[in-house]
Amino acid sequence: MDESFSNLQTSHLLGSVPAVISEDDKKSTNVHISSVNEGPSANMQIFPPHQGNSSKGYQTLESPTEGPEQQPSNNWKGYFNVYSYAQYFNVDTDVVLNRLMSSLYPTSGDFFSKIDANPDLYGLVWICTTLVFVLSSLGNCATYLVKKRTNSEAPWVFDVNYINLAASLIYGYAIIVPVAFYFSLRYMGSRADLLRFWCLWGYSLFVFVPATLPLLIPVEFLRWVIILLAGSASSCFVALNLRSYLEASNDLTVVLAVAFGLQMVLSIFIKVWFFP
Amino acid sequence: SDQISSPTSKRSSGETQTNRHLETSRRMSHNDTIPLYQSSQSDIDEIENMMNAGFQSGPGSVLPARPPSPIRPSIPVSSSPFVQSNLPPLPPSSSSAAQKATPVPAPPSLPPAVNFGSSEGSKTTGFGSPPNTLTEPVWDTVKRDLSRIVSNLKLVVFPNPNREDPGKALRDWDLWGPFFFIVFLGLTLSWSASVKKSEVFAVAFALLAAGAVILTLNVLLLGGHIIFFQSLSLLGYCLFPLDVGAVICMLKDNVILKMIVVTVTLAWSSWAAYPFMSAAVNPRRKALALYPVFLMYVSVGFLIIAID
Repeated sequence: MDESFSNLQTSHLLGSVPAVISEDDKKSTNVHISSVNEGPSANMQIFPPHQGNSSKGYQTLESPTEGPEQQPSNNWKGYFNVYSYAQYFNVDTDVVLNRLMSSLYPTSGDFFSKIDANPDLYGLVWICTTLVFVLSSLGNCATYLVKKRTNSEAPWVFDVNYINLAASLIYGYAIIVPVAFYFSLRYMGSRADLLRFWCLWGYSLFVFVPATLPLLIPVEFLRWVIILLAGSASSCFVALNLRSYLEASNDLTVVLAVAFGLQMVLSIFIKVWFFP
Repeated sequence: SDQISSPTSKRSSGETQTNRHLETSRRMSHNDTIPLYQSSQSDIDEIENMMNAGFQSGPGSVLPARPPSPIRPSIPVSSSPFVQSNLPPLPPSSSSAAQKATPVPAPPSLPPAVNFGSSEGSKTTGFGSPPNTLTEPVWDTVKRDLSRIVSNLKLVVFPNPNREDPGKALRDWDLWGPFFFIVFLGLTLSWSASVKKSEVFAVAFALLAAGAVILTLNVLLLGGHIIFFQSLSLLGYCLFPLDVGAVICMLKDNVILKMIVVTVTLAWSSWAAYPFMSAAVNPRRKALALYPVFLMYVSVGFLIIAID
């Protein structure tokens, strides 16, 4: 197996010492690969993609040596080529559905192991877009129902600003908070991976989509109950998965508490701005 | 290049030239821009070959049929042979009015020599018989574009036997139809809004235009095979049912009726967009590609209902 494989490879090289050196080479490059490919974005040079490499765990033997040479010339091309970002959308329908369902169970802390081989940004983009649409449309519906209920004479006007508000809030939160956590965790020395953080926070927002529908009911107490339940589910999801991802260290609880708190603040904002 | 500039130098002494050469040279200088598609560069090369052949063969001679240009790319689903569309492509006079990239489509394989010397607008390529599409009445140009829009609409939105084959259906795509439908929808929504009319138009237009681009990018990122502008064209044409719904909602202001109308036209739009989008991606990712389309149409439908 391995020996025969390495024998095959080194037969092309003239005068090379067969098994030992090539295995050492393989080992060393494997180490290099794993550190480079820990997440495609653990190394900030890799996440803005410079070539269309797949994000799978294995790369060919040649690419780590080719990488530094190719990077200076191809680096800028990777940013503007759509296909180099396709590696982050390499998911099928059933995979996405599986991840969505698992985001509804906050207490199983295994999300990172689920997405480890293949984190995707599809969930982040489209869950945020769906949430923006749902918030703006149902927020407008809520004001309409309130107007109808109170029978006020003022004509109900569709407030386009809800879309702006929802978009800034949701997109800003989902993009900036993982970046902040990534940088602060790297500063504190723990392992952190931007791509997986984006994936986690993206899927954590999914629980708000079905929770927004019962928020239409104009009973104030019920609205608060619903939003607190949804917010705590989402926050537990984020915090528990973060805890299982980061290695144990003593300042970890602060990070978890901050993550929990931010998600709760987001849910309260949703309630106050869209369903007052 | 000097090949392109030579007709213009000839044009200065062109009073004695035949009409054909005059129009050809005017056409060339008109199109003296960097072509955006390979096919248009090859078309320009063919024109120059034709012109050189024409100068040598003298006026009044019949030029040989020119070889067909490379087929304009489209969704590579079927291996059907090139369908000869009976609609000539966009003439350059209207393409310069729009600031869009309208690449020169592949011409029909009829010899253009048939139409030399005839003065009425005819069904040939713009480059093949220059005098006719330049000197034709404006109504002919507009009518040609309108008929292409109508035929594309019939292919995309209405049930017809070609719908299941996306490679054949929208082969002759254009961007005029989608542009017209998007602007019309924005205007209708803006008209029916009682306050903040300009904001409503801006939101509707931005949502539809950006949404079409993002949906196409989504398909490309999921590993699908789709031509960018063809997909934009398709998503624009699938807005036609929502346009109809918006007009009906503008005329009648009943909320229940609006919801019914919007639901029906929404289903119609999604049904129209379904075969193209689902054929473009891996079947395991069909739902991932179709869901954002549905989301965009639902949001537009909601906008239609909510504006009153």
